[in-house]
Amino acid sequence: MTAVRRWQLAFIAVGVLVIGLGGLVLLLDVNPARYLGIALWFAGALVLHDAVLAPIVLGVHLLLRRVGRRVPLSVVLILQAALVVAALVTALVLPEILKQGIGSANPTILPLDYAGNLIRFQAGLALVTAAAIAVVLARGRREHVERPRRDDPDGG
Amino acid sequence: MTPREAVAAIERGMSAYRARLASPTRTPRMAVVLGRLLGVAFLVCFGTGLYSHFLQDPLPWMVFPTRPTQLYQWTQGLHITAGILCFPLLLGKLHVVYPQLFQTPAVRSLPHLLERASIALLVASSLVQIVIGFINTVQWYQLFPFPFRQTHYALSFVVIGSLAVHIGVKLPVILRHWRSRPREETTASGATGRLHRWMDGSPTATRRAFLGTVAAGSAAVVLTTGGQSFAPLQPLNLFAPRDPRIGPQGLPINRTAEDAGVVQLARSAGWTLSIVDGDRRTVLDADALRDLEQVTVDLPIACVEGWSRMATWSGVRVRDLLDLVGAAPDVAVRAVSLETKGAYGVSEIGPEFVRDPLTLVALRLNGEVLDIDHGYPARIISPARPGVLQTKWLSRLEVIA
Repeated sequence: MTAVRRWQLAFIAVGVLVIGLGGLVLLLDVNPARYLGIALWFAGALVLHDAVLAPIVLGVHLLLRRVGRRVPLSVVLILQAALVVAALVTALVLPEILKQGIGSANPTILPLDYAGNLIRFQAGLALVTAAAIAVVLARGRREHVERPRRDDPDGG
Repeated sequence: MTPREAVAAIERGMSAYRARLASPTRTPRMAVVLGRLLGVAFLVCFGTGLYSHFLQDPLPWMVFPTRPTQLYQWTQGLHITAGILCFPLLLGKLHVVYPQLFQTPAVRSLPHLLERASIALLVASSLVQIVIGFINTVQWYQLFPFPFRQTHYALSFVVIGSLAVHIGVKLPVILRHWRSRPREETTASGATGRLHRWMDGSPTATRRAFLGTVAAGSAAVVLTTGGQSFAPLQPLNLFAPRDPRIGPQGLPINRTAEDAGVVQLARSAGWTLSIVDGDRRTVLDADALRDLEQVTVDLPIACVEGWSRMATWSGVRVRDLLDLVGAAPDVAVRAVSLETKGAYGVSEIGPEFVRDPLTLVALRLNGEVLDIDHGYPARIISPARPGVLQTKWLSRLEVIA
C-alpha cells in the first residue's frame, strides 16, 4: 500500500468516526421529534442550491456572455463580479431586514438601518463598478491606438 | 419507453447540462485553491466553537486560561466572522464543482455511491450549519424547527467528519493540484475547448476574475459585519446584527430584566447577596457590599453571538467574598441569579476564574451604578468567558462541594 493510500484510509476512517460522534450527540442532545425538521433542512439546502441557485447563476452567466460578445470580456467580468457581490450581500442582509420588521426581543438587537445601509452599499458598489469599467475601457482604447495589431493570446 | 431508455435519456440530459456548465473556472486546481481556504475557515469555526461549547459545558478535568482577558472576545469574534466568511467561500467552492453533480453514469460502484453520499452530507450539513449560525445571531429562532445550540454542536462534527472523508477520497487530486501547473491550466482541447473559447477569449482572465470575485465578496461581508467583534472595523459596520456601542450604558444586552422577570426583586430595598459554603453563610446587603474593598477592572463583555465590547467594571473580588466565609482557596462556585426561569439563571465558575483577581461581583459599569438590564444590583464579571456565564441580578454565591 502506498503512503498516499494509507493517508486516504486514515482520513476516511477518522472522518467516519467524527460523523458518528455527531450522530451520537444528535441522539443524546436533540429530541427525536426534531430529526424530521433537520432532515428537511438538509434536503432543502441541497435543492435550493443545486436546483434553484446554481441554475439561476448559469442563466445569468450565459445571458451576460451573449450580451457580452459586443463588449470587451474584462467589462463583462467586472459586471459579473459586481452582480455576485451585490447578490451575496443582499442575501445576507435580507433576513436582518425581515426580522427587524417582525421585531426583536430588545432594541439592542438589529439596531442599525439595514435597508438604508443596503441601498447605500449597492449605490457605492455601482459607483465603484462604473469607475472600474471606465478605467478598463480607457486603457483598452489607449492600447488599441498604440498597438493596433497586438496579438495577445490571453485576449486582454 | 423502457426504464433503461428513460435512464439513458436522463443521462443524456445530464451530460448536455454538464457541457453547458463547462468553464475555465471549473478546474480541479480551482477546487483545491478554494477548498484549502474553506477548510481553514471550517477548522477555525470548529476549534473556536468547541472552545465556546466547553467553556459553557466543561468536562470535569477541564481548566481554562484566564489571560489574555480578551481571549474569548477574540475566539468568538473569529468564530462568527469566519462563519460569515464561509458564505462566499462555500458558494464559490460549490460553483467550481457544480458540474460534478451531473456526472454520468451517476453511480459507478459502491465506493462511488458512498463518495457521492459523503459529498451530499458535507454540502448539506455545511450549508445548514452556516445558515442557522447566521440566523441565530439575528435571533430569528422561529425559522428552524430544532434547538439551535444542540443542533449546531452536533452538526459541527458531521461537517468536520464529512470534510475529512472528502479530503481522504480526493487526496490524490489535492496533491496533484496543490501547486499551480501553468501548462495544465490552459484551455481544454476538443469540444470543451471550443466552448471555452466561445465563452471566454481568455481562460486566465476569467479565472483571475473569479478569484477576484470571491475575494471581493469575502471582503464585503467580513468588513461590513466584523465591526461587532473587532473594534477597528466598527466604522464599516453596516450589516452586523449588533452595534457594540448601542445599548444601556453603551453596551448591548441579550436578556432584559423584564424578560427575566426580575425587575421587582432587583429593585427591592431588601435585596441581599448570600455567600454560602456548606453551613457557613454570610448575607450582605447593598451597603455592606459597597463597604468592602472596591476594585476597578477593564474587561470585555463578549457574547456567544460574536459581538463584544470593552468596559470598566467596579465591585468586590469574588475571592474576597469567599474569604468572608473562610472558603478553601481552590473551590468552584455556583452563581445564582434572581432569575429562576431561564437556562442561564445559574452558572458555575471554575476555580481558575474564582481565584482570579479580575473576577468581580460588579456593582458599577463605566462609572455608573449598573443598569438594571446589565444586572443591577450586582452581577458576575470575569475574564475570558462568554457573556451568558456572567450571571446578572446575582442573589447567591455557593461554594460547590
